[in-house]
Amino acid sequence: MKPLVKTVDLHTNFYTFEGVVRALNGVSIVVNQGETYALVGESGCGKSVTVRSMMRIVQNPGKIEQGKILIFFNEADKDQGIDILNRSEAFMESLRGNDISMIFQEASASLNPVLSIAEQVGESFFAHRSGEMLASTIGTIEAELNEGRNFLVRFWRNFQLTMYRREAADLERFKGWMVDFDNRLYELEDSTEGASVRERNRIKAHRERYNRTGLLIRFVKKVPFLRRYYGRVRNTVKHEVIKLLTSLGIPNPANIADRFPHELSGGMQQRIVIAMALACNPILLIADEPTSNLDVTIQAQIVELIRKLKETVISSVLYITHDLGLVAEICDRVTVMYAGDTCETATVAEIFERPLHPYTEGLLKAVPKVDQEGALNTIPGNVPNLVHPPTGCRFHPRCPKAMDICSKQKPTPVEYSSGHTVSCHLYLPKENQA
Amino acid sequence: MSDATTFEEHQEVADRPPKKNMHPRLRELLFGLRRFVSNPLSVVGLVIIFFFAVVAIFAPLIAPPKNPANPYMMPHTGWETTPSPPSAAHPLGTLQQQYDILYGIVWGTRSAFAIGVAVVLANLIVGIILGVLAGYFGGAFDEIIMRITDVFFAIPFLIMAMALVVVIGRGLKAVVLVLIILNWPQYTRIIRSEILVIRDREFVQAARASGASHLRIMFQHIIPNSIYSVLILASLSVGVTVLNAAALSFLGLGSDTGYSDWGQMVSTARNWIVGPAGARLAYWYVVFIPGFAIALFVLGWNLLGDAARDVFDPKQRRK
Amino acid sequence: MNLISYIVRRLLLMILVLFGVTLIVFSTMMLLPPGMRVAAYVRSEKVTQEQMDSMIRKYGMNDPAPVQYVRWLGNILQGNFGYSSTAQEPVADAFKQYFPVTLELVLYTVPLIIFVGIWLGTIGAVHKDEPADHATRVFAIVGYSLPTFWLGLLLMMLLYGLLDIFPPGLLGNKLNDLINSPAYHEYTGVLTLDAILNWRWDVFFDALYHLFLPVFNLMLIQSATIMRLTRSSMLESLGQDYIRTALAKGVSRKIIIRRHARRNALLPVVTISGVLFATLMGGAVITETIFNRPGIGLWVARAAVLLDVPAVMFNALFLGVVFVAVNLVVDLIYAYVDPRIRLA
Repeated sequence: MKPLVKTVDLHTNFYTFEGVVRALNGVSIVVNQGETYALVGESGCGKSVTVRSMMRIVQNPGKIEQGKILIFFNEADKDQGIDILNRSEAFMESLRGNDISMIFQEASASLNPVLSIAEQVGESFFAHRSGEMLASTIGTIEAELNEGRNFLVRFWRNFQLTMYRREAADLERFKGWMVDFDNRLYELEDSTEGASVRERNRIKAHRERYNRTGLLIRFVKKVPFLRRYYGRVRNTVKHEVIKLLTSLGIPNPANIADRFPHELSGGMQQRIVIAMALACNPILLIADEPTSNLDVTIQAQIVELIRKLKETVISSVLYITHDLGLVAEICDRVTVMYAGDTCETATVAEIFERPLHPYTEGLLKAVPKVDQEGALNTIPGNVPNLVHPPTGCRFHPRCPKAMDICSKQKPTPVEYSSGHTVSCHLYLPKENQA
Repeated sequence: MSDATTFEEHQEVADRPPKKNMHPRLRELLFGLRRFVSNPLSVVGLVIIFFFAVVAIFAPLIAPPKNPANPYMMPHTGWETTPSPPSAAHPLGTLQQQYDILYGIVWGTRSAFAIGVAVVLANLIVGIILGVLAGYFGGAFDEIIMRITDVFFAIPFLIMAMALVVVIGRGLKAVVLVLIILNWPQYTRIIRSEILVIRDREFVQAARASGASHLRIMFQHIIPNSIYSVLILASLSVGVTVLNAAALSFLGLGSDTGYSDWGQMVSTARNWIVGPAGARLAYWYVVFIPGFAIALFVLGWNLLGDAARDVFDPKQRRK
Repeated sequence: MNLISYIVRRLLLMILVLFGVTLIVFSTMMLLPPGMRVAAYVRSEKVTQEQMDSMIRKYGMNDPAPVQYVRWLGNILQGNFGYSSTAQEPVADAFKQYFPVTLELVLYTVPLIIFVGIWLGTIGAVHKDEPADHATRVFAIVGYSLPTFWLGLLLMMLLYGLLDIFPPGLLGNKLNDLINSPAYHEYTGVLTLDAILNWRWDVFFDALYHLFLPVFNLMLIQSATIMRLTRSSMLESLGQDYIRTALAKGVSRKIIIRRHARRNALLPVVTISGVLFATLMGGAVITETIFNRPGIGLWVARAAVLLDVPAVMFNALFLGVVFVAVNLVVDLIYAYVDPRIRLA
């Protein structure tokens, strides 16, 4: 299996008034190409922070402190990968929503209440597909250029055409610059000498200052009336949006596109969020508890939708969930997280048959069974406050099998059997514990 | 105020052992106070207000009144219209008609505190009573109170204040009364909206379900949980109140000439912004000093209010 | 369809509030003794006690309050507002003369204040806790604390007094004579507009020159409020989930700030801007007094000191109407910007 995205020893902190929340404490996970992967754990154990770090959208006051995030998207970097933490924000923008995209929990909060669905879904097209959008608009205008008999209509169309061609040219030039910057960054990548680090930062900062379009276009877009020329592209994008909504099986897409989020049901809102994520056919789709707060029937529909898309469009899916039933049903591999640590990684079958980490065992036992009698099994205690995380293994205060060493030393991950890794002192060779 | 602290500072706050066995509300308050004093701007505000408080308390020592029966009247030596510059006899100079500026500033501090505190306290009391009743019981009473506040929000503040002062009769007391009349709706609205939220929270419903009386629910649960936002408003509005009172005094609607009131002192300054040829800034002290006292006093309260909001407003704090 | 019913609802509420405003103004007036209230109908300085008593009787100043209220309201609806002793002419005429001066100040000041406030507030929120943020916050808190009259006096003292630039008043002496001459046609009373219509650019620029300090004075102080509000509501909307969604879509920072954060954050700013506009329409009383601009503010300030009750009451009422109207406009803007209200 070839890796697609890999995090290495990721540390993310949140600087709050109560103190530093050490949300991630060296998280290393690998998402392979073509697989459905799951991150499992209680709420507040750092699953969401992990994936947000992977997209570099940790919001204030959070900060990625340490580690690497490697992506293996292009042929060129199949072996080493690109460390996106070294890349510019502009590079990340071209990646987000295009190659990696994300579905959030609570769709109602994820949608901007004052923008229509078409506007919000269309943003993905504007951000990543403006070249295609412009080209197709230019095509339609050229086709009808000689239809209009009215002088004004013809003039207006010519004006639109000129502007669109100009913008397309600007865009090409911009892409050229970006490729150029990226190549230069790439060459400087692995060098850690002071001078080249400075050069790298300079290029990164420089890259962000470039505008996608030239001065003329930006000016005309600010002039009242004249700026209306852009409406044709908006129409094209809206058309694309409707096509996308149709392909997702959303009923009456043309109507939905003009609605605002608060007019839609929760399930429909979640579909819109999925549509936004899928607009540009991402390679990796991250689904952050996509079905929480939804009815069970809708949940099943959404899961089924993602599963179908996985077969047709997307390469890999990363699921965040605490629903172990869902994991068993649709995932290939799974990582169990606890309080910012990865506990255990294995294939789904392995995890359910042979859970190694005491936390995984606890989680599995806590799932109610149909023929269950007596009280539910729970893991005593709560997820710790990460301002003062427990020393050593962060699970030790709640662990039924805790030993002396557990409070003193953080366990290193050990490969118990092929593809089954666990971080627990129970499985570490004794000599390492000394 | 700022949360751009370094890792170490955060550590320092974080590593203090969390006190156990303390009432959570008290712990919350202590936590807030600790953050309050660790913020440079709020300390500056505190120092300014403390300074003015000292001046106000020791006014009789700093500027002994010539006529102890009426200490707020500024003493003046002669009727000479032209102000005289700072000298040994008048360390900060005099206003027109030779009113001593230093004396006016010192005793004016008492006026400023009296205005600010009187107006805000009265508004707090009225606002809390009406807001709590309207928010907790709702219904027709709530509707009436809210429509009245609507009307109050729709009347122009300064002009209405002027009109009322004209009607009541000029003077500092009238100014205070008018500010009270015009400001209470703000407090009422804020506390009402706060209570509307808290009224339906689970812990209040639980208290109600367990048979607690209305009074008990109000004092035990609702007021303590909604009081912070009103207190923040109160601390922010002391400054604004003093500014508004000063504006009315400046327009000649406040105290009489010679009364120790900063706004009144500035009002005479309009005649002295241009000095004689060759010394155009000759009367700077008339223009600058009383206004500076107002600005500093208001700045102190605003810094305090701002810091209080940053510290005690849960919405701002957790970010 | 929903929008129409929304507007109708708002209009009904507006009438209710207006009714409340007239009640307040009227009850304020009723606190005065009848002799002072009858001054609204007195047109000369010297009135004997007997004349006064007969007028009190004639105008029914001792009638029951509701009767007087209805009569007063009827007078107002017919445009009969009484006589202003400060302006020495009927209130309505005086208003026509003073209003354009205030309007001119407001038209230049309010857009500037809103622009500067939103701009600085956005900078503060986007660069939270960076030096730019601290600088704008210090600016705001100082602007918030300065007494308008003091800043105005200082500006006058330093610029006009010391350097002899930016004089008070509306125009220089020579041009003042010019605009009062028959050759100059007064179209609107708004100086800069009239200057353009008369094609007198010297008048135009001189009027702007005289406007500079009052506008600057108001801007320094008033933009602080808008700045603080913009900053805090921008911070709030920047922390919303939909900002994260937009980020995850790969939308650039600039567009996120402009399209997602600011548009939502500006709703409360619209309210405050409306209040600001309405307040300034009442004449920036202090600023007009200090810079000697004969607008509504200066008129009211004088009227208040000279106990010119009709003028003060009329302006209170006028401003009440402006407030209510502005609130209506604000509500409409809300409905335009926020679909949740529009379609609710």
